Amino acid sequence: MLALTLLGPLLAALAILSLRRAPETLALIGAALGFVAALGLFVAASDGVTVGIALPFLPDFPIRLIASPLTATLSLLVATVAAMVLIYATGYMRKDPERARFYGTMLLFVTAMQALVLSGDWITLLAAWEMIGFASYLLIGFWHGRAGVVGAATRAFLYTRTADLGLYTGAFVLIGVAGTSEISVTNATTGTPALIAGLLLLIAAMGKSAQVPLQDWLMRAMAGPTPVSALLHSATLVAAGAILLIRTAPMLPGGALLAIGIVGGITAVVTGLIALAERDLKRLLAASTASQYGLMLVAIGAGAPVAALLHLIAHAAIKSSLFLGAGVFQHDREGTGLDTLAGAGRARPGVFAGFAITALALVGLPPMAAFFSKDAIIAAALGSTAAPWLLPLALAGSVLTGAYMGRALNVLWAGEVGPPQKPVPFMTFGMGVLVALAAGLGFGFGALEHMLGAEIEKPGWIVPAMGLAVGLSGLALGWFIAPARLLGPLLAPARNGFAVAGGMDGLILRPVLSIASACEAFEKRLLAAQIGLIRGFGLGTAHLVDRADGALFAFSLWIGQQSLRLGRATGFTDTNGIDAAIFGLVRRMVAAGAQARRLQSGFIHRELALTAIGTALIMAMLLIAPYYF
Amino acid sequence: MPLLTLATFLPILGGLALMALPNRSDRVAHGMSIVATGLVFLITLVIWSRGIVPSGFAQIEEIAWIPAIGASFRLGLDGLSLSLVLLTSLLFFLSAIYSARISERAPSYVVLMLMLETAALGTFMALDGLLFYVFFEVSLVGMYFMIAGWGYEERQRAALMFFLYTFLGSLPLLLAIIGLYLSSGTFDMRAWIDAPPLTGLAAMLALIAMLFTFAVKIPAFPVHTWLPAAHVQAPTAGSVILAGVMLKFGTYGLVRFALQMTPEAFAQAGQVVLAFGVVSALYGAFAALAQTDLKRMIAYTSVNHMGYVVIGVAVAALSVDPQIRVIALDGATLQMISHGLVTGALFFLIGMLQDRAHTREVCDFGGLLGSVPWLGWAFILSAFASLGLPGLAHFPAEFQVFLATLNTAPWAIVAILAIVVTAGLYLRAIAAVFLGERNEKWALMPDLDRREMLVIVPLLILTILVGVAPSWLLNIIHTTMASLSF
Repeated sequence: MLALTLLGPLLAALAILSLRRAPETLALIGAALGFVAALGLFVAASDGVTVGIALPFLPDFPIRLIASPLTATLSLLVATVAAMVLIYATGYMRKDPERARFYGTMLLFVTAMQALVLSGDWITLLAAWEMIGFASYLLIGFWHGRAGVVGAATRAFLYTRTADLGLYTGAFVLIGVAGTSEISVTNATTGTPALIAGLLLLIAAMGKSAQVPLQDWLMRAMAGPTPVSALLHSATLVAAGAILLIRTAPMLPGGALLAIGIVGGITAVVTGLIALAERDLKRLLAASTASQYGLMLVAIGAGAPVAALLHLIAHAAIKSSLFLGAGVFQHDREGTGLDTLAGAGRARPGVFAGFAITALALVGLPPMAAFFSKDAIIAAALGSTAAPWLLPLALAGSVLTGAYMGRALNVLWAGEVGPPQKPVPFMTFGMGVLVALAAGLGFGFGALEHMLGAEIEKPGWIVPAMGLAVGLSGLALGWFIAPARLLGPLLAPARNGFAVAGGMDGLILRPVLSIASACEAFEKRLLAAQIGLIRGFGLGTAHLVDRADGALFAFSLWIGQQSLRLGRATGFTDTNGIDAAIFGLVRRMVAAGAQARRLQSGFIHRELALTAIGTALIMAMLLIAPYYF
Repeated sequence: MPLLTLATFLPILGGLALMALPNRSDRVAHGMSIVATGLVFLITLVIWSRGIVPSGFAQIEEIAWIPAIGASFRLGLDGLSLSLVLLTSLLFFLSAIYSARISERAPSYVVLMLMLETAALGTFMALDGLLFYVFFEVSLVGMYFMIAGWGYEERQRAALMFFLYTFLGSLPLLLAIIGLYLSSGTFDMRAWIDAPPLTGLAAMLALIAMLFTFAVKIPAFPVHTWLPAAHVQAPTAGSVILAGVMLKFGTYGLVRFALQMTPEAFAQAGQVVLAFGVVSALYGAFAALAQTDLKRMIAYTSVNHMGYVVIGVAVAALSVDPQIRVIALDGATLQMISHGLVTGALFFLIGMLQDRAHTREVCDFGGLLGSVPWLGWAFILSAFASLGLPGLAHFPAEFQVFLATLNTAPWAIVAILAIVVTAGLYLRAIAAVFLGERNEKWALMPDLDRREMLVIVPLLILTILVGVAPSWLLNIIHTTMASLSF
């Protein structure tokens, strides 16, 4: 079962990429297999059975998958959303010529995401974590011929990879202390290592879950196809950050929890404001995603990871159906700008109803899913020791949720209706199931808490009243008042994504590039200095050789002359013959010397070639040497 | 059967046979090259199947050479050398296939390649100090002629620089070897390893000499400058051999000589070596980011990747925890193999791109993925492997190196910043060359042909295999590293 959760989508992906035929059918088969396996895991886990497999990877560090109640729940969530989004995609991507690549990459993503949620050790988690980033890069960049798409994909990968350094180092700290890579063992870490690791993991989570100040990539990621936004950038990939913190919650000490809660609270407000100022429906939903994950981090920081998990599940169903609805409107109007989409909802009342139900679910109207989870978060914030910080931020985040959803609904409903649209059965089905889940999931939360062994106390009347009041007032504000008036002076910075000092580009990218060019400039100097050094050495040697050669030449000339004199002095009768012989010798020596000079004064490389041949000869002699010893 | 000797000398015998043949057409020459390197590859597979021993060297072949000075012809293997030997024979075989298209003085080219293979295999398997040095130097000569004879525009200058640099660089090693010989009376490397003959100042001086030689070869900052120059001018197969095999002489020597023969001195100098490794890794990454020539860029990433190997070895020398020590050495050794596979693939791919477009400037391309999908996806896969994506070859190696580093010398973990910089530079290159708007100039560029597929696909498969299930390779390495006592 456990293996099939991954193998189903993986084998389907490989089949699609190698066969390049019937990608839709294969994709749906793979997703269905994965779903059935995940359902089986969930059923088994609800009986309290934990299964695991371990495969050899590094010596002493095998890779492990574990289906515990928590991981099996997440696995089922991923499989469900993936299956619905893929059904929707068969309609959405119908006319795309590169469907095989699309489905192949989507299924690779699903495999990696399942590995992430089921991981039982840090290596598997890290590997899956980076793989989902890679799949996200490929999917955001799917239409890489279009303007701005490649930049968005590159940015998404680099943002998250920078934050991933936190996961790498955090995992190294934990493995080093525990001596094993099993997450269940490292969760018992305490003291300073736990605090350091907790803060490092928070950095990683901030990157993946698009928390301030690393939120910008998520809005740009909307350059990908809408099913990608629905699956990756709302329900799964972005969830990885929150999942990481939920999994490691048992070891997080107070200091780390406070940091997590505050980061989450600030994100909930800041990205909520950004969402309200957005002029594009998909980007609005993306900013809202970051904001909702901020609320989950508030819950984790308040010491209620189960509340965060419930909101994660509710949000997954809600946000994916909102994106799928947005995709239908995008299909109709060929764009996602709010101006373009004005009135698009009334032209498709069915889809709009689904969109509105889930929007209201996100705002937290009873009895829909987020009503329960949001109340749990507010209750946790209220009960936490950091309540003075967390509660206002959580409430402000909830008001903003109401406001931007109210605005989106208003825009889609008011405006020109336009011609009626053709039905889109696959898209409607995929979306419909998710809407039903978004509306009804809340009733299963009690059972889920029981299964996880962490039942949340039912709050009294004050928390639901507070939650409902902020949600509804936000909704009213967003529906009736234009964001320009609502935001006032905050509008311009919100539209700008609250980029401080040029945002990440100014803070990281430009410094990195200037270090790179400084290295390049230094490199040129270094090279010049070294060439100078070597040339000095080479020329020095050549000069020495030249002088030695000159001396040798003079010496041989002198020998010749001396022998000549000797010959004359001895007064041989047959002088001519001897003279001729000696003069001939001298002449040959002179000629040889000149030849040697020519060889040496030429290009240095020729000398080197000769040196090389000389070396080779010496080596040959060395090899032959044994025969003479 | 003395398979080690056979594998070492089969290539050069093939080369000599080629020189003796009356018909030396290009076809015959390349045929000889492919057959010889292919046979050597098969022999190394048999050597692999014969296995290694848990500690010390296996499959030893020994013949008296110069008994008067205690030098013998000694070959043998442990996990470190066996994995490098397999990499070497594979890369030479693939290079021979890739080079089958070269028509410029093909017989000389083939003889040089075969001579290089003999030198490379000999370097990794030699168990005699003198023999090691001979093979180490012969490889220099071979590569010099390779670059000077078959390189690109400024090949003479680059070849000269390569030769001078590495030749001068290797002289200190000779001094160290003589020092080891004088204090032990033998050239047997096993004796040097079992009972390191030098102590105190002498050991430190020998270590400094060796470190200088190997730093040039690896290459580590600041003596890395010859590498980009040589790579840019070298012919494709030359680049593959240079990066894939010859740089490993440096890291192999770092472990085999510096770490194993002067262990105490290495532990004392560990922080300094570590610092050079960290600077190399970071500097290589940043310098690569500044490049616009693809080949130069990959050359600098080699400085970065080999920097991780230096870090791993230095951490092993510094660590007092035996488990961490083995993790560091496993990682460093695996990194050598991964770098050979991945950078080999990248240089082949850039060579294929250059064969088609006659340029390597990043900005001359654009949107190539549409016209050459195989080449493009192969490059994307290799690039992601090189930037350390899990599931591909560099991840297990770098994971182990960094894990050991953080738990031994926490400051050195700053080197991990380089993985973000390499990610940035590869994504930028992919975006500029293969994605984005299509440059109509290359609309008709042909995709990989059969010969090119034959070269690139095995490397990609191995890249994935090492990344997904490294144990088949890591087990050999781990066996040896777990038994090292230094």
